[in-house]
Amino acid sequence: MKNNINKNSEFSVTRRNILKAGVASSALFSLAGLTVFSPRANAATVIYNFVAETYTKTLVDGSTTIDAWRFRDTDGNTGPGDLLASIIAQEGDTIIINLTNNLDTDIKFDIPGVLEGQPSLSTGSSTTFNFNAPSAGSYLFRENIVEEYSQALGLMGPMVIMPNNGTQSLYAGGPTFDQQYTLLINDFDDRMNADVASGVSYNLDNFEPNYYFVNGLSYPDTSTDPDTKVSMLLGEDVAIRFINGGLLTHSMHFHGYHVRVVSRNRIPETDIIDKDTVVINPGECVDIILPVVQVGKFPLHTHYIPAVTFNGAYVNPVGGALLILEAS
Amino acid sequence: MRTFTFLGPNSASLSVNMDSSTTMANGVIVPTWNFEDANGNGFNEDRFAPSPVIECVEGQQVNVTLTSMRAHSIHFHGLDVDQDNDGVGSTSGYVAQSPTGGNLGRVDGYTNLGSPFTYTFVAPHAGTYMYHCHIDTVLHIEQGMYGTVIVRPPNGSINEAWTGGPTFEREHIWHLHTFDSTWHSEDISSATTNRYRPDYFMLNGSDGANAITDTTCAIEADAGTNVLVRVNNVGYQPALVELGGISFQIIASDGRPLPSALNVTQMLIAAGERYDILFTIPIGFDGLATISYKDIRNRNTLGTVQTKIKDTSDLIFTNGFE
Repeated sequence: MKNNINKNSEFSVTRRNILKAGVASSALFSLAGLTVFSPRANAATVIYNFVAETYTKTLVDGSTTIDAWRFRDTDGNTGPGDLLASIIAQEGDTIIINLTNNLDTDIKFDIPGVLEGQPSLSTGSSTTFNFNAPSAGSYLFRENIVEEYSQALGLMGPMVIMPNNGTQSLYAGGPTFDQQYTLLINDFDDRMNADVASGVSYNLDNFEPNYYFVNGLSYPDTSTDPDTKVSMLLGEDVAIRFINGGLLTHSMHFHGYHVRVVSRNRIPETDIIDKDTVVINPGECVDIILPVVQVGKFPLHTHYIPAVTFNGAYVNPVGGALLILEAS
Repeated sequence: MRTFTFLGPNSASLSVNMDSSTTMANGVIVPTWNFEDANGNGFNEDRFAPSPVIECVEGQQVNVTLTSMRAHSIHFHGLDVDQDNDGVGSTSGYVAQSPTGGNLGRVDGYTNLGSPFTYTFVAPHAGTYMYHCHIDTVLHIEQGMYGTVIVRPPNGSINEAWTGGPTFEREHIWHLHTFDSTWHSEDISSATTNRYRPDYFMLNGSDGANAITDTTCAIEADAGTNVLVRVNNVGYQPALVELGGISFQIIASDGRPLPSALNVTQMLIAAGERYDILFTIPIGFDGLATISYKDIRNRNTLGTVQTKIKDTSDLIFTNGFE
C-alpha cells in the first residue's frame, strides 16, 4: 500500500494537463510518478513492494529477446519507460521497501549514499528496509553483492527525492523547473545475459555491450514513451535527471541546446556548468536544467556513438541510447 | 598565430572524399572518409582526416555548403542550430539512399545526391565546436568525417578567446581520435561493427613517432609564449590529457567560458566534449604531452599518443644556467 503518491491520482494528472495542454490525452495516464510529483504539505510513509526476478525482454526490433534481471513493483506501478520499479518521495518521508528475492542467487540491495552495507538476502526470502528519505536529489538503487554484476544484467532503478518546501525544484533553494524527466541509462552484452541464463557466470572483464537503453527502451521506442521522450514548451526550464545504471562512461550530447549542470551525485557542480555534452560516469546521478530557447525536434544521445546502435547497426530503423527532445 | 589552415570566415564549401587514407606510424595505410575543401585538403594540406577547420565570427551568418554523391550530412555539434540545419536524417529531413538502396532518412524536398545543400546558422558564442556527419553516424564519424568549428569573438580577433577573455599568441587544435582498423573496410554499420576495439591512437591523424613531431600537434615556441590548445574529442574514447607536468588552465568547455579558470596538470575529456586550455611554455622545457585513451568501461589505458612541447628560445643559456 502506498499512500499519497498514487501516480494516477487525479491531482497529478490535472497538473500534467496544465503543464502539457495539447499533448494527446492517452499519454497522460501512462506518465510515471517520477515525471509528475505533487508536493505534499505533510510527511508520509511511502511503501514499495518489490521483487527481484528474471524475465525475458523483447528488444526494440520486436524479435530479438534477451534474458535479464529486474526489480518489479508488485503493486503494478511502472515507469519511467520499460522500468518496473522506481521510487519517489520527499524529504521528511519514511520509505519502506519490502523486497522479495525471486532470483536463484543471493542479492544485496544497495542505494549508494543512503542504504549501504545491508545483509544479503538469500534466494526465495524477503526483507524490509525502513529508512528516512535522504536529502533531495537523484539516486540509483541496485543490487551489488558483486559490484556491477547485477547492474550489467539490469537489476537497478531510479530514486528521486523531492524537497519538502512545496516547490518543483531540484533541492531546497536550488534551481526550479517546469517539468522533470528521469533518464536511466544502461547497457547489455548479450553474451553475458545468455551465459547467466544458462547458469554460467560471466567475467566482467569481457563485458562489451551491444544493446543500449534509456529507461529500458531503445530508439525509436524512446521517442514515443511519454516519460522518456522529452516534450517541452518554449521558455520552460526542464530538469533532466541522468542516472547511469550501466557500466560505460556516457557523454550525453544535446542537439539544439546548451544545458546547465546542477549537481553530480547531489553535490552542486560549480566548475564546469554550461555544456552541450554532459559526462555521466558509471553509477553517477547528474541533474541538469535545460532552458528551452528554441522550438524543434532534436536528438539527445550518448556520444559514445556505438551505444546509439542496435547490435552495431545505427538507427535504421532501430538503435540504442538516443531519444528525442521536442519543443513547441 | 594559427598552426592550421582553415576555411572561412563564415563560409565553406565541402565535398566528401571516400577514397582517402591515413598512413600510420607503422606503415599501415588505413582507408578513411573525410570532408574536403575545393583543393582536396582535409585538416591541413598534408592530410585528409580530420576534416578542414571552419572559422566563423560570433553573431554573423554562416553558410556551409555540402556536395555529396553519397548519403552524408553535417551536424554542427554544439552550435545549437535550428532543426532544419541540424544535419540529422530522422529530424532534419536531409537525406537519401544508403549504399544498399534503402532509405537512411526521409526525403522532404531537401537535397538530392549530387546537389549542393547549404546549411545556414548564426555563429553563437566564441569558442570551440565540432562538426561531423550524422548519417550512419557510428561508422561515418569513425572513418574520419569530423572537424572543428572555431567561433571568433565579434571583432574577429584571432588572439582573444572571447570578448574580454584570455589572450594567446599561439593556437593549436588537438583532435583526439582513434581507429578500429577493422571498421575501415565496412560500408555500412551492422553486426560487423557491434564492438569497437580501437587499435590506432591519434592526434590530428598522426600516431606514434609521427605525432611527436607533427607540426599541427607539437608545440615548439619560445619560453613565455601563451599557447591556446582547443582540445576536441571527436573520437569515442574518454581520454586523459597531460602536458608533461606543465600546469595549465582550463578556460572554456563546449563553447562556453568556465565561471573561473581551473588550474590543473591533467584533464579527462569524454567523447563529444571540447576543452580550451591555456598555458605558458616554461623556460627550458623539453618534454612530451601525453594523451591516454581510456577503456569506455574500466578506464584502463588502451593506448597513448604523445607530442613534443619544447622551449625554442636560448633562455636557459642566456640566463646563465650553464
